[in-house]
Amino acid sequence: MLILTLVFVLVTIVTASLFFGFYKADRVKQAEAVSYDKYYVMITDNYKSDFWQSVYKGAKEKAKEDNIYVDLLGEQFSKSYSIEELMRIAIASKVDGIIVYANETLEMSECINEAVSEGIPVVTLYGDCTKSDRISFVGVGGYSIGRMYGGQIIDIIKEKRREELLESETIGERNQVKISVIVSADTKDTGQNIVISGLQDAINQDNVTDSEFAVSIVAVDNSNSFSVEESIRDIFLEENIPDVIVCLNELSTVCTYQAVVDFNMVGEVSILGYYDSETIVNAIERGGIYSTISIDTNQLGEYSVSALSDFYEVGNTSEYYLADVTLINQDNVGNYRKEGEQDE
Amino acid sequence: MNKFLNRSLQFKIISVCIFANILIFMVNLFLLFGINNMSKDMELVYQDNRSLNQLSDALTKVQDTMTIYLSSKTSESLEDYYREAQKYADLTANLNDTVTDLSFNRMERNIKYMSQNYLEEVAQTIEAKRGRNVEKYRTYYENSTRLYEDIDEYITSLNLELFVVNSENYLELFKAFRRFEIVAVVVMTLVMIGNVIIITGFVKTMIMPLKNLADSADEVANGNFDASLPKEIYQDEVGIVINAFSKMVVSIKDYIEKLKESMEKERYMQEKELLMESHLKDAQLKYLQAQINPHFLFNTLNAGAQLAMMEGADRTYQYVQTVADFFRYNVQSQKRDVTIRDEVTLVDNYIQILNVRFSGDIGYEKQVDERLLDRVMPSMILQPIVENAVNHGIREMAGEGKIILKIYREDKHICISILDNGKGISQETIDQLLSGKFSHDSDSYDNNGIGMDNVISRLRLFAGYEDALDIISRGENKGCEVIVKLPMEENNV
Repeated sequence: MLILTLVFVLVTIVTASLFFGFYKADRVKQAEAVSYDKYYVMITDNYKSDFWQSVYKGAKEKAKEDNIYVDLLGEQFSKSYSIEELMRIAIASKVDGIIVYANETLEMSECINEAVSEGIPVVTLYGDCTKSDRISFVGVGGYSIGRMYGGQIIDIIKEKRREELLESETIGERNQVKISVIVSADTKDTGQNIVISGLQDAINQDNVTDSEFAVSIVAVDNSNSFSVEESIRDIFLEENIPDVIVCLNELSTVCTYQAVVDFNMVGEVSILGYYDSETIVNAIERGGIYSTISIDTNQLGEYSVSALSDFYEVGNTSEYYLADVTLINQDNVGNYRKEGEQDE
Repeated sequence: MNKFLNRSLQFKIISVCIFANILIFMVNLFLLFGINNMSKDMELVYQDNRSLNQLSDALTKVQDTMTIYLSSKTSESLEDYYREAQKYADLTANLNDTVTDLSFNRMERNIKYMSQNYLEEVAQTIEAKRGRNVEKYRTYYENSTRLYEDIDEYITSLNLELFVVNSENYLELFKAFRRFEIVAVVVMTLVMIGNVIIITGFVKTMIMPLKNLADSADEVANGNFDASLPKEIYQDEVGIVINAFSKMVVSIKDYIEKLKESMEKERYMQEKELLMESHLKDAQLKYLQAQINPHFLFNTLNAGAQLAMMEGADRTYQYVQTVADFFRYNVQSQKRDVTIRDEVTLVDNYIQILNVRFSGDIGYEKQVDERLLDRVMPSMILQPIVENAVNHGIREMAGEGKIILKIYREDKHICISILDNGKGISQETIDQLLSGKFSHDSDSYDNNGIGMDNVISRLRLFAGYEDALDIISRGENKGCEVIVKLPMEENNV
């Protein structure tokens, strides 16, 4: 009995010290973290958007394989910085590589050149800066996206024709299909122009007469955070509401969709969206958006990291990396959903 | 364990106490250590924020001193600048530049490199200013100011980030602290309970033999010497006491046994002696009885009397007849109660015999109330009194001795008075006689064996009161009177 009690007391003390030991070990473990060999930063215009988060995720995972950490610069700051400012911070921070959503401005090319002169390789992502010393561009084929849009527009035109054949007697009474492409007002983004030309080429090649469609370009002001939404609403307040609206980025897609819903024009206006965020895919399922372009964002991220890594390993890398794009419309949205679920 | 238990009681008690204290001390030490450790951790939680604030201050000072130098170009401000720049460089050198999953680590790294950049920029600015290169130092100044702002912003962000992380840490730590508190209380309680059990157990083990000893002692005290003696378990003081007790009980038992044996022997001896005495007495009695066989005696005396009558010796005949009567009465009066008349007759006979023996020396006078003669009284009372009076009173008076027997009634009593004119009895002797403490010479030949004490006690028994017999003596040679007071009851006829 006595021995038992003694053993019990000793066990209690030992257990307590073990508990304490574990607690200490836990704290030490907390403080420890994996350290990485290289440090890249990714600089984008809006680190909060689904699109960039998805790209960042792809890049981060790819980089981790090589024991490299990719930071989405800007996240940490309470103040919001412009891309150029972030570039300067990155240069001053002597990072090992910069992945930047660039544009064709002079300031940008100066920044990139400065970074390269400091020995920091720069990869432009999604938006290029061709005049700069960037080592590589990772993006999507704007022309092929344009062609995809064109194909969709032809489908829409054909559908309209069929409907009109049933309703009207003569060709003359046919309405012209009005197509509006929403582009950012600042002309820095050359990608937009390529998309539009691809779109026009696609429609023209498909024996559609000019009388049947009219492409107009609506420039929306993206100089501040909220102007895009306002500008898009302005379209619906005019007399001639387009039949097809092509959006070239995620934000304008969502805004347009919301405007169509608000103005009760679902079915009358076909939206060709961009990117496959949750909201957009849901809208396709409900028929609010005609189709959208899905970009393999993971691939974008991965390519940008491997471009930098190639540069470090080989000394140079290929100038262009193009990520896969797929079209999502009501026909394949179900499949897309399933794949998405499987992926997760 | 047994080795320990065999140590002295003092040692055991002290070591148990010390053990319990050490246990508690250890637990306390452990708890104190834990609390100390945790409070240290807590202190360090916001350490990062504090050092960041230092960094921020240092940075601002560098910027300020640089600006002052640029505007005033005093040597003091230059000195200030150098000092502050050095301080800031030292501070930034301490920053960690590893890249990890933790964002604040990466921010720290960035701040470090940006600061180096900034310091270079500032140094160039100062250099340009000293070289009076206005164009250059303006650009440098702008560059460094921009960097300064960026770093400041970075530091602020990092501070914020760290604050969030540290607050979480702090909360975690606080929770751990609470948990630790609970564990501490539980451990303390358990250890205390364990201690209590250990001490109780030890004390019980130590005290139990004592209790057993007390029980055994009680049993022995109650006279049971065969009580099972407690076994001496450990070689401590209690063990020694138990040992001593056992020895004591055994030796007492032995002693009592011996005492009993000797008492038995003594008793046996006494019994033997008494038996021998009674046998002797018995023999004597039987011998005497054989001698005074009444029939033989009467027949003998009667034969003597007839012989005397035939020879015409009337007086001899009378004498022998009286002696026969006297002895017959002695033999007959084995029965308890007789009449006064019988007793008086016996006295008459006795005096007659004595007068023959001592040739008419004793004067005898009777004043008797005849009505009282048929009353009952115990036998063999008057004759011994008279015999006493003769033997001790008038024996040596040679012819002048006189005995007066009076029987009369007084109130509710029959009084029988035997008065002599002999030498009297001292008051002392009277008291001794009446209290029955008088030791008479039983072996004298001149009495028939019945002492005064016997007479007095029989009278008292018969009468039922103490003053059944009274002795009055008026002094030396003035005689003595013995008065017997018998109850005068109606049925006493």
